[in-house]
Amino acid sequence: MTLVLAWNNVRANRMSFAASIAAVVLAVTLVGGSGLLVAGAGSRDELNGVMGLLVLSAAASGFVSVFVVASMLSLHVLRQRRTWALLRSVGMTPRQVSRLVTAEALVVAVLASAVGCVLAVPYAAAMAAFVRMTGLASASVPVEVTMGPFILALVVGLAVTLLAARLAARKAVGVGPLEVLRESAAQRRLLSWPRAVFGVVALAGGIVLLYLVPQVKAAAAVPTGLGATMALCVGASALGPVVLRGMGWLLGAAAARLDPGAGMLARSSLVAQPRRAMAAASPVMLTVALACTFLFAVATGDAAAGVTRTGPSAWAAPMLVGSAVAYTVISVLNTTAMTMAERTEEIRLLRTLGAKPRQLTRMVCWETLTVTCAGTLLGTGIAAASLTALGKAATGEPWFAYSLPQYAGLVLVCTVSGLAGGLAATRRARRGALLPD
Amino acid sequence: MDDHAVLLEEVTRTYGKGATEVAALRQVSVAFPRGSFTAVMGPSGSGKSTLLQCASGLDRPDSGAVRIAGQDITRLGEKELAVLRRDQVGIIFQAFNLVPSLTAWQNVILPSKLARRRPDPSRVRELLHRVGLAGRERHRPAQLSGGQQQRVAIARALLGRPEVLFADEPTGALDRSTGHEVLALLREAVDAFGQTVVMVTHDPQAAVQADSVLFLTDGQIVDVLDRPSADQIGMRLGGRR
Repeated sequence: MTLVLAWNNVRANRMSFAASIAAVVLAVTLVGGSGLLVAGAGSRDELNGVMGLLVLSAAASGFVSVFVVASMLSLHVLRQRRTWALLRSVGMTPRQVSRLVTAEALVVAVLASAVGCVLAVPYAAAMAAFVRMTGLASASVPVEVTMGPFILALVVGLAVTLLAARLAARKAVGVGPLEVLRESAAQRRLLSWPRAVFGVVALAGGIVLLYLVPQVKAAAAVPTGLGATMALCVGASALGPVVLRGMGWLLGAAAARLDPGAGMLARSSLVAQPRRAMAAASPVMLTVALACTFLFAVATGDAAAGVTRTGPSAWAAPMLVGSAVAYTVISVLNTTAMTMAERTEEIRLLRTLGAKPRQLTRMVCWETLTVTCAGTLLGTGIAAASLTALGKAATGEPWFAYSLPQYAGLVLVCTVSGLAGGLAATRRARRGALLPD
Repeated sequence: MDDHAVLLEEVTRTYGKGATEVAALRQVSVAFPRGSFTAVMGPSGSGKSTLLQCASGLDRPDSGAVRIAGQDITRLGEKELAVLRRDQVGIIFQAFNLVPSLTAWQNVILPSKLARRRPDPSRVRELLHRVGLAGRERHRPAQLSGGQQQRVAIARALLGRPEVLFADEPTGALDRSTGHEVLALLREAVDAFGQTVVMVTHDPQAAVQADSVLFLTDGQIVDVLDRPSADQIGMRLGGRR
């Protein structure tokens, strides 16, 4: 029975399910591949110089993977609250529903981890080739298939997927069935106590790390700075709904002024559902914060040491952070699509009230742009804080090097993938037959 | 200009293809005069909801014409249809009529906002007062009862002074006394504002509020009763079974 239900759930939620699988596959690929690379480099003494960077990029990949998979899975589970509530109301016990969620997450985790492990080998080989081509390492990094990285990736993939699903399910199942069905959009509480405490602790940890950056040894400065960025990202995304409600209100007010109908709809949905908005803004924040910290930390270090990189070696830093960023950009697309797909019913209603197709398109765009903008602002703030600390460590001045084209490109990529996800997910509701059959 | 708010001419609507083909409407012709309150009744599957969907521009008939204020809406493009729904038609469904993230007030003025018009705040206030929601302007749908939500939807439909107001089982999800209040509001809209109302229902108690009752069976109008009593309606429905 549970299996039949789980299978039907998967079929009914194909898109959200596919997005979750994609997230886990890429995460396992990223973690496994980086692990293979580090293990390969560790076996050769002459690769000691490049080891630090490889470990750093592996850590970034791991962090990003955990972050994205966790948020994707909880989004996936919360999306199905109505289904769970319905099952509860026909007499399923919370335990049974919880088992159902676990069964589904297990299928996702096992399937996706297996595929991810297979993909990790070619990914590691490609990265090794890249490292040699850019002249980052003096010798080529050997990629040997050893068990360690795979076990690590599998454990991370399975553990994070299951844990995120179970935590989200506890939230979804703990609520009485009627409450869920009635509540629709009005959220009961902006922040739960554990979430608030967790956010504050992460934020405080980030600030401590920022303070430590100029104090630690020169070699440890960049890892500490990157750690500060990660901790701040975790804190901001936990406390995000509060921040986002204010930001959504302000940015949305501008949109509502420019475009009364569509803008008003976009703003009100951001203000009424800051948690959904934060889920979509998180990957943007992560992309901007992590990429900026990594890229401009290297640039700042180079500038302080008076090094100018040209040719292939200029690409070393962007490349190392590239796959983690590519992953977060994909998750921007994924989460925007998922949060927007929830709105199909509302979009159909708006059409019956006479919203023109163009107005609906604009509504989706305004909302996505506001969310992207909020994420960008948060990410920029976090990166700027870490970079200032790093600059202080390198030069003694609160200063850092940056490249405006790289920054603009990053923001543009996030915006475009957010818009693409949002518009694609709502296309059928906006343009298709008005009456769903 | 004729004195019909809505006119259906030989409207046919078929769902599915081949063996599963179902004719929901077969060459239905009917006129809804301005300022009249019409109830559409019939067993489930009789095509009463399809009639409403075709008449309101939510669905396109396979053949025939639908005229609202003299204009054939079956020839309109998606954008023109949207404008028609916004300015000339009000629709109230059984449930989920309101945008969940908007307050009652914002829901009422939404069509005007979409039309980039500035609604008169005193009229919005008066309408909300009239439907019994004074003081609840800033509540979100989740904070309102089912009956209150329906009344917000009625206020929204009345604000635009549409040519016709369609209601699909507006009391279907409500208890009897709340349902009665909603019906009284629809009746009042007809009597006080000269609003044209077309309502699909399966409840004889709801249909007695109407000036005339259409009976649909297998996609065809089989009977029309003017100002019937609940007993007459009940017998008409019972006789068919």
